[in-house]
Amino acid sequence: MKRLDSLLPPERVSLFEEDTLCYSFDATGIEERPMAVARPISTDEVSTIMSYAYERDIPIVPRGAGTGMSGGSVPLNNSIVLSFERMNNLIDIDASNLIAVVEPGVINGHFQRDLEALELFYPPDPASMDFCTLGGNVAENAGGPRALKYGVTRDYVLGLEIVMPDGKIALIGTKTQKGVVGYDLTRLVVGSEGTLAAITKIFLRLLPMPRAVITLLAVFDSVDASARAVSKIIASSIIPRTLEFMDRESIKAVEAFKPTGLPTTAEAVLLIEVDGSPKAIKEDTDRIASICIAHKADIQVADEPSARQRLWEARRAISPALYRISPTKINEDIVVPRSKIPEMLAYLRRLSEDLNIRIVNFGHAGDGNIHVNIMTDRENAEEFKRAGDARRKIFEAALKFGGTISGEHGVGITKAPFIPMEMHPASLGMMKAIKRLFDPKGLMNPGKIFEG
Amino acid sequence: MAVKGILEAIARFIEKEHILSCKEDLICYSSDATYHNAMPDVVVIPEEKREIIQVLRFANSERIPVTPRGAGTGLSGGALPVRGGIVLATTRLNRIIDIDESNLYAVVEPGVITASLHSEVEQRGLFYPPDPSSLRVCTIGGNLGHSAGGPRGLKYGITRNYVMGLEVVLPQGKIINTGARTVKSVSGYDLTRLMTGSEGTLGVITKALLRLIPKPEASMTFMAFFDSISLAADAVVGIIKKGILPTSLEFMDGTTIKAIIQYKSIELPEDADAALLIEVDGFESEVKRQAALLMDVLHGSGARGIHSAKDKTEMEDMWNARRMALPALSRIRPSTILEDATVPRHQVPIMVRAIQGLSIKYDIPIGIFGHAGDGNLHPTILTDVHDKDEMEKVDKVIEEIFEIALSLGGTLTGEHGIGVSKARFLKKEIGEEGIRLMRAIRNIFDPNGIMNPGKIC
Repeated sequence: MKRLDSLLPPERVSLFEEDTLCYSFDATGIEERPMAVARPISTDEVSTIMSYAYERDIPIVPRGAGTGMSGGSVPLNNSIVLSFERMNNLIDIDASNLIAVVEPGVINGHFQRDLEALELFYPPDPASMDFCTLGGNVAENAGGPRALKYGVTRDYVLGLEIVMPDGKIALIGTKTQKGVVGYDLTRLVVGSEGTLAAITKIFLRLLPMPRAVITLLAVFDSVDASARAVSKIIASSIIPRTLEFMDRESIKAVEAFKPTGLPTTAEAVLLIEVDGSPKAIKEDTDRIASICIAHKADIQVADEPSARQRLWEARRAISPALYRISPTKINEDIVVPRSKIPEMLAYLRRLSEDLNIRIVNFGHAGDGNIHVNIMTDRENAEEFKRAGDARRKIFEAALKFGGTISGEHGVGITKAPFIPMEMHPASLGMMKAIKRLFDPKGLMNPGKIFEG
Repeated sequence: MAVKGILEAIARFIEKEHILSCKEDLICYSSDATYHNAMPDVVVIPEEKREIIQVLRFANSERIPVTPRGAGTGLSGGALPVRGGIVLATTRLNRIIDIDESNLYAVVEPGVITASLHSEVEQRGLFYPPDPSSLRVCTIGGNLGHSAGGPRGLKYGITRNYVMGLEVVLPQGKIINTGARTVKSVSGYDLTRLMTGSEGTLGVITKALLRLIPKPEASMTFMAFFDSISLAADAVVGIIKKGILPTSLEFMDGTTIKAIIQYKSIELPEDADAALLIEVDGFESEVKRQAALLMDVLHGSGARGIHSAKDKTEMEDMWNARRMALPALSRIRPSTILEDATVPRHQVPIMVRAIQGLSIKYDIPIGIFGHAGDGNLHPTILTDVHDKDEMEKVDKVIEEIFEIALSLGGTLTGEHGIGVSKARFLKKEIGEEGIRLMRAIRNIFDPNGIMNPGKIC
């Protein structure tokens, strides 16, 4: 019998514990050891490993940078981790067609910088963009602050090269801006969390770079006022590119972790960014500022890149900062229709009081996507149980408001038990049938999305 | 099951006036905008979802084909009942249920006419971008079935980019709701987009949640004429390179221009080899800036006769000329066959010249127009479908057009769908594995094969 470690040169495949350890977790903190790690450099190598695994019924878990928030890349069931870190070539940036062709291991932030030099723009910007890979973004259908104006990853994927579980290579979608050739397999694979096939090449749609950007920071003394300001901004036909919200707990956590000068007495801040032509965004900025001021906010405006960067530092520091305030963080990713944000935030406050559990909220207020963080301690069984109750109640509330339990982080392991709350059994049945069709042996990223 | 049996059975749960079965009526539902025809056995035009569920349940248990239909303006035969059976027209389910201005979405039934949705949302300062040329007639349901595009697709994307969620009746009569009332949602596989563009082969869409955006403050429209297609194509690439993403960037060739002049004595230069219709939108100040840049590019690219619309009427006139392209061409010969090949933008001149070469090689007139900005061309073959010899040549022309499009990195269909007309070419583009997956997906939703049989794969 052929050995796995004879399939690729030794530096690209390993069964040793010291190597596999690094591939056993993601940002959720859930940990499980894979049986092996393969780091292929080409589609053919991916195909070789997958057909090897297919013949032997070994599960495969594709992995980008492991920054996922729902356990999507944690290798359950003694799997082979297929890490795309070495398939990180930017194959082509075609400025005249506004299309890029990339390998899945390209880091989102590096890609953004290369595009900027060419005055091009790829909007999806998950907060982990300095580390996370485009392959991971596609698999999870990642969003980010700019999704408010520009949409999420799925809106930018034109086509994909995929490797099926048995090692067959297939091209889906198109390399053109438009294409309606049969069923939309491209978007079926986008967001499928590595449960259908491995992605080996990505064709992305690009935009011209916006000519100017202005960032505003508005500090409020009540959460409700900030939420009402959000609704008012959207209702006045302005679509900022980002409209980010942080509550008092997040502000305090950030200031304790990495002081950025935010007033720790504030109840809420909004980080708002507009882009477009300099004149138009000046007008937008003025309108947004007067709406915020009418809601009793203090305003700071930045149009220089360095000043803008400073305002963003606080927002990007939240997630790491929260790890410091309690041993366990249950990070949720609910979305409600944006007009329901004030009600949802009020509900979360009541819930936090009723269950006597700390809940920290931040996120993309503009599109109704709130990252609700239940701060707890896994070791404290009694509190952890209350945290679990809070979680279920939060999902129920989000669904009651017409929302969803996962906006941009995916289902993975952490939300799999809750999927039946949102999904009609008929829809779930269809999804499971689709899964079986792509992956009849159930080898692709087992234990994700669907429970059991 | 005999027609009489079908009629008797469905009369039990469908209002009598919602059922059509006499030949004169059936003929009206036997064609679409292609040259193909197929007679249904029965036409059902339900008013309520309940009726749709019952029709599907019945058809599924008796294995009778069901072909959903909007306004029948499709260009790939998607609405044709090629295996007979029941045509299920959704035209009576035509309510705009809700336009939610604070959350920027609309909830509509499938029979709503695209232009009515446009005017309803625009009155509220909102905007629904997809604008297929048949927008005054075609329905949202049909647009969803084919993921329809339109000139504004260049800047704003196509129907699938605006669908947040769907209510779908599956062939067994079960209802599923996909997506959410939120722009973001990643709970499980993307059934919303699987349904969008599935051409009525997976279920019947009974309600759609559509994303809206604020209406652009201003827009400007331009028309420019060129002595050669290469010059026009250079201008297209030049515009995009300047960092301008126009709302629309439409192309017409000399044959199309001449046809329009003959059809509706519109003042266009008869000797021009190519025309571009360009629209930019956005904030007023931005539109003005883009207009100035656009003029620079057009002058620099050797365009002659650059016109900018002075007012709304002139803007409408320019668009009417463009929308007349197909009706004007269709008067030249008894039949028109319109294709939908799409290539990467920079390949447009090569594609256009190749099609012109085919026109000469096979001695068949072909007018070319389309959405140059996104590489989506509509070569329109002017022929006579009753002329067998010529149709043989037409078949070769179509096949060669597709081969060239694929070899240039393009696709068979940018916005019209596969339907019947392109089904035989599908394998060439998506390969064995693609076909296998699509067939199997279809089988999951519709194991008895009743939904729009004979389409896609």
